[in-house]
Amino acid sequence: MKKSVLSAMVVVLLLGLSGYASFFIAPTDAKQGLIYRILFLHVASAWTGLTSFFICFIANLLYVLRRQPRWDWLGVSAGETGLVFTTVVLLTGPIWAHPVWGIWWTWDARLTSTFVLWLLYVSYLLLRTLVEEPDRRALLSALFGIFAFIDVPLVFGSIRWWRTQHPQPIIMGAPGAGLDPTMYKVLFFTWLAMLGLMTLLLRQRYRLEAMRGDLEIIQRELEAA
Amino acid sequence: MALLSSTAVLLDKELRTEFRSRELLTTTTVFVLIVIVLFSFSFDPTSEESRRFGAGLLWLALLFAASLMLQPCFLREQSNDTLSALRLSVSDPFAIFLAKLVANTLFLLLTELLLLPVFAVLYNVSVLPMLHWLVLVFFLGSLGVSITGTALSAISAQARMRELLLPLLLLPLLTPILVASTEVTAALFDRSPYVQWKGVGFLAVFDLAFLTILWLLGEYLLEE
Amino acid sequence: MKNLNSVFAAYMIGWTVFFVYYISVSRRTMALREEIERLKNSLSRGK
Repeated sequence: MKKSVLSAMVVVLLLGLSGYASFFIAPTDAKQGLIYRILFLHVASAWTGLTSFFICFIANLLYVLRRQPRWDWLGVSAGETGLVFTTVVLLTGPIWAHPVWGIWWTWDARLTSTFVLWLLYVSYLLLRTLVEEPDRRALLSALFGIFAFIDVPLVFGSIRWWRTQHPQPIIMGAPGAGLDPTMYKVLFFTWLAMLGLMTLLLRQRYRLEAMRGDLEIIQRELEAA
Repeated sequence: MALLSSTAVLLDKELRTEFRSRELLTTTTVFVLIVIVLFSFSFDPTSEESRRFGAGLLWLALLFAASLMLQPCFLREQSNDTLSALRLSVSDPFAIFLAKLVANTLFLLLTELLLLPVFAVLYNVSVLPMLHWLVLVFFLGSLGVSITGTALSAISAQARMRELLLPLLLLPLLTPILVASTEVTAALFDRSPYVQWKGVGFLAVFDLAFLTILWLLGEYLLEE
Repeated sequence: MKNLNSVFAAYMIGWTVFFVYYISVSRRTMALREEIERLKNSLSRGK
């Protein structure tokens, strides 16, 4: 109890600091002005989402090899938190795009691949709701998770290769192109804070899934009794 | 060697099951035909633009058709309770997948070859000069669809709402295939056609990557 | 100070999503905990 409160406080502090840094320490962008400050939330969420999906992939692999329920719990938790962060990316993207490019959505390579990524993990979570038996659900979703994650670089590659005739965004044209060093530092700090938030959410969600496991055991006992 | 011979036996079984009724082939072909005709109402199919759109809608129709066609692949085994017998009959479960995915690739290719002339006439594109390249692209694309589709149909067959679930799992996964084969096909449909090697290579990489994963994970997909 | 509204909206929406998710997980956890307690009680009474 004490430890969890402490870690939550640390994360909130980090997030507050990163918020302060994004608005008051990072210099204003010469071309875009104030609006570019969405970058810190947007890009850091994207990186954190990818980190989360990577954790999901590792957990999926470990489940298939070891068959311990905890890897299944970690897998679903990481898949869900990854989806939350990617949702934030997809929501903040258009808000940024609208004043800068004049349109809400552009089929830019990264935005589009992130959308496909989001859809893949929605399918992953959907699959879980459609398999009743716990062991089978864990195995099938882990296998699909592995397929989905292997697909990610191919999705990014294909969209980037063929779908870039659209107007290239200014900042996202190349990774971090034109970012000043202070902006970089603030971005990495924000990512760090977001990773803290991810860990917090992941742990909370993992506990929930572990309790579901307990519940299933009790229910089986009740049926046997 | 043992893998190849058992694959050959199983493939023979798959083909015989299908060609006895030709259910899959006829329904898939009709489905794609319907989609191609209906699509023509959404834009002017005689315009120059249709050369660009044509390839994409052809592939989109094929992907939708494939996600329906791959449905019975494992479902049939399950409802007839033949899957465990199948698993006992071969030493390497990869043979089951190999036979099924080769059969599915063949079915898809047959559908495509039947529909290509129809498509060429309706959308006013010339396919003959580039036919051998088109066959290569359709082969690589269909192979990729069959590899992932066969694997995922083994997953969806074990879940509820299977008929709806397979397209949901499969279609986002096939984004790279859709993008790459659309671009290569569009280049071949062009007024001055050319082979986009980059795309052909990409499709080969996709196929190889997923074939490897299927080889590694196949046995887990069929676990009881 | 152009576009201040957009920046504000983006940060608000972002943080709302995180917050809502956190709350939803906490509530699901709470509901599940009660359910487990209830079942455990009925299990021990049954014995």
